[in-house]
Amino acid sequence: MDWKSGRLPLTGLRVVDWSLYWAGPYLGMMLHDLGAEVIKVESPAHCDPMRTVIDVNRYSGDTGKPLTPEERVNVSQHFNEWNRGKLGIGVELADPRGRQIFLDLVSQSDIVIENHRPGAKDKLGIAYSDVAETKPEIIYASLSGYGQTMPERNAMALGSPVELPSGLFLRNGYLNDNTPAKTGFSYGDPVGALAALSAVLLAVRQWRKSGEGQYLDIAMRDALSFGIGAAFTDWSMNRASRPRSGNRHPVYAPQGVYRAKGDDQWVAISVRDDRDWQAFVGVVGADEWQDADAESRRANHDEIDAAIEAWTSERDARDIESDLQAVGVPAGAVLDFADLKVDPQLKARGAFAEIEHPVFGVEVRATSQWTRGDEPQPLERPAPCFGQHNREILGGLLGIDSQVIDDLEREGVVADRIKVAGD
Amino acid sequence: MDVLSDLKVVELSRMSAAAFAGRLCADAGAEVVLIEPPDGHPLRHEGPFRGDSPGLETSAAHLHVNATKRSVTIDLQSQAEAAVHLVAGADIFLTDLPAEVLDPVGLSWEALHQRGPSLLMTRVTPFGDTGPYARYAGTNLVSIALGAQLKITGDPGRPPLTNFGSQAEYQAGLSAFAGTVANVLLRDASCEGEYLDLSVQDVVSTNLEQRGTSFNLGIVANRAGLTVSATYGVYPCRNGWVYLTAFAPALWDRLKSVVQLEVLDDERFSNQASRLENNDELQAILTEWTLSKASDELREFARQGYPLTVAEDEESLLASEQWQSRRYVSNVAHPAAGTVSVLGSPWLAGEVAVVRPAPTLGDSNELIEGLG
Repeated sequence: MDWKSGRLPLTGLRVVDWSLYWAGPYLGMMLHDLGAEVIKVESPAHCDPMRTVIDVNRYSGDTGKPLTPEERVNVSQHFNEWNRGKLGIGVELADPRGRQIFLDLVSQSDIVIENHRPGAKDKLGIAYSDVAETKPEIIYASLSGYGQTMPERNAMALGSPVELPSGLFLRNGYLNDNTPAKTGFSYGDPVGALAALSAVLLAVRQWRKSGEGQYLDIAMRDALSFGIGAAFTDWSMNRASRPRSGNRHPVYAPQGVYRAKGDDQWVAISVRDDRDWQAFVGVVGADEWQDADAESRRANHDEIDAAIEAWTSERDARDIESDLQAVGVPAGAVLDFADLKVDPQLKARGAFAEIEHPVFGVEVRATSQWTRGDEPQPLERPAPCFGQHNREILGGLLGIDSQVIDDLEREGVVADRIKVAGD
Repeated sequence: MDVLSDLKVVELSRMSAAAFAGRLCADAGAEVVLIEPPDGHPLRHEGPFRGDSPGLETSAAHLHVNATKRSVTIDLQSQAEAAVHLVAGADIFLTDLPAEVLDPVGLSWEALHQRGPSLLMTRVTPFGDTGPYARYAGTNLVSIALGAQLKITGDPGRPPLTNFGSQAEYQAGLSAFAGTVANVLLRDASCEGEYLDLSVQDVVSTNLEQRGTSFNLGIVANRAGLTVSATYGVYPCRNGWVYLTAFAPALWDRLKSVVQLEVLDDERFSNQASRLENNDELQAILTEWTLSKASDELREFARQGYPLTVAEDEESLLASEQWQSRRYVSNVAHPAAGTVSVLGSPWLAGEVAVVRPAPTLGDSNELIEGLG
């Protein structure tokens, strides 16, 4: 797979992306990264809320004032992050003519993805059963919190809250703490999106072999639970509740996050075995611990941590990282976003690239995770402005007469502006 | 699902990312042969174990991540030829071993590709094959740190905290699986081999919600603990925890309709801005309400679509109706561990895959008899 030769697995496939927030849009973006043409469909009355609703986009231009929803709609750095590479249309799906446009678009496409609440697609008449009538070989993937099955089909679970019903939340937490902890971002979204991507790719292979499409039901909760599947197997064997393990590891000792020099600076260190320990002691000079074996390092972990932190807190996190890595001990500075942007390794891999957005200007975006190294993905198309490709898709791909599109625009069925409801 | 049932996979792994990818290949129908060192895959040595008594066959991590695979034991120092032979007969080679181990024994991409031009190889390593960190050592914690997911998790004023399990490795495992299936699609069309060089740091730093706002707007994200704001955060309930998610006007109205307290109609809480201004008072009121409710009551509200999400543990999930309806849990009989619960692939697509118990060490050593 690479961009230089254009060898990408989904070239020639078209995706209808009816998605919102993070998980669904990210799934669509990854399908684009693998070569598909992705068309994002939004309603003027219900655009992807990442554009407007969440008060996270504090971009305020030169005025210092918060932007109105109409002003925010095309500059949201959350929306633009997870929708780059896509085309976008604004069509009112609640109108029968808008619904028909959706169905016509699907009949020209191979894959539908969506992550609305399970009832929404039925209400609008664009569920799998509706779509499969016109396009039986369609692959239709629904990504939701708990899945499409009862009894929890209608329960709400966004990417951050879904950590709670997955089992992960209750296991997270500082060492031996009674209070659990949540991951510092909407962790269910990327994990759910990667699981959904896997299911879609398998379905594409099935379709290429047999010509048959299928419906895929992916629950973010299940994807999170699979990642800690060992906890479920453990429960089935032992019926034991386990203390929270903080930053420690069941085998590696010591392992921890240690204070480094500077305000809120930290370094992560793992000593995997006796070889690592000898090398570590050689650098740190904690001679009194030199002969400690793994069992004794685990038994005296608190004391060893104190000795390590006395050493690390006087040093720069990046210096600790390179001194320990030089002797083969896994260590890494605890990066913040500013560090990440200039990280030498990610830079060498081509992890981030600039892209010119017609309204926002220059944006730094992540490239495809599968084509880094020698030939990272060139970023050519920024996220679509709302309804940016209405004419191109409706007129070009669907062959709708431009006067008909004029009429649809006049009647609000097709739009390149969102419809804002009052608070 | 048997989409990959025509494919043979050889997995040579020491960490979890490649092992997760191998597990997903096995669930999708591929025959997956795990090459282990004579003393067993490292996951076999990682607790907890059945009865909390260490044993090569009874670690929960091994029983989950290596389910449905076969096992052969090969000492790479003395039997590398056996490994090369196995890989040469496979369609996919999944590994996480460093180049300095693979290259001298003939398991580099260049050597394997020359020998079998249609082989697919996926190598998932902490930092990838290129760049100044290509030879650096990594663990799950180090990858979470250098992928910038660590610093934003935990309480303000306390050290950064990793989430539970091997989440960097898991994210990379999902990405490695997806990337490998993507390469299968290419090979189906071309009969040509492909090499995937996947970096755990690349995957972790891609899966970041606040990257765009930070890189392009300079908004700093930091540890926020359990609660982002009164209308978006975790609250204690009588016997557990619940996440209230009423950050948008319509959701606030829904929350009010279930909480049913007149005080919430107060002017102080009439719009999003005023709710943020009076955040602490609102949080105190909502805490009093959540503490008066038990998880069972709250779960019923959640099922009716109210904007709240209830914490579950292993026991409640394994017994849950939702997972029964999704046929997500397999109870498999393992010769050493007894009957254990193992989760299936995290998607529903037609027939649910059959999960087989993790292999006993070297259960398929007949595959390498007389080799190496």
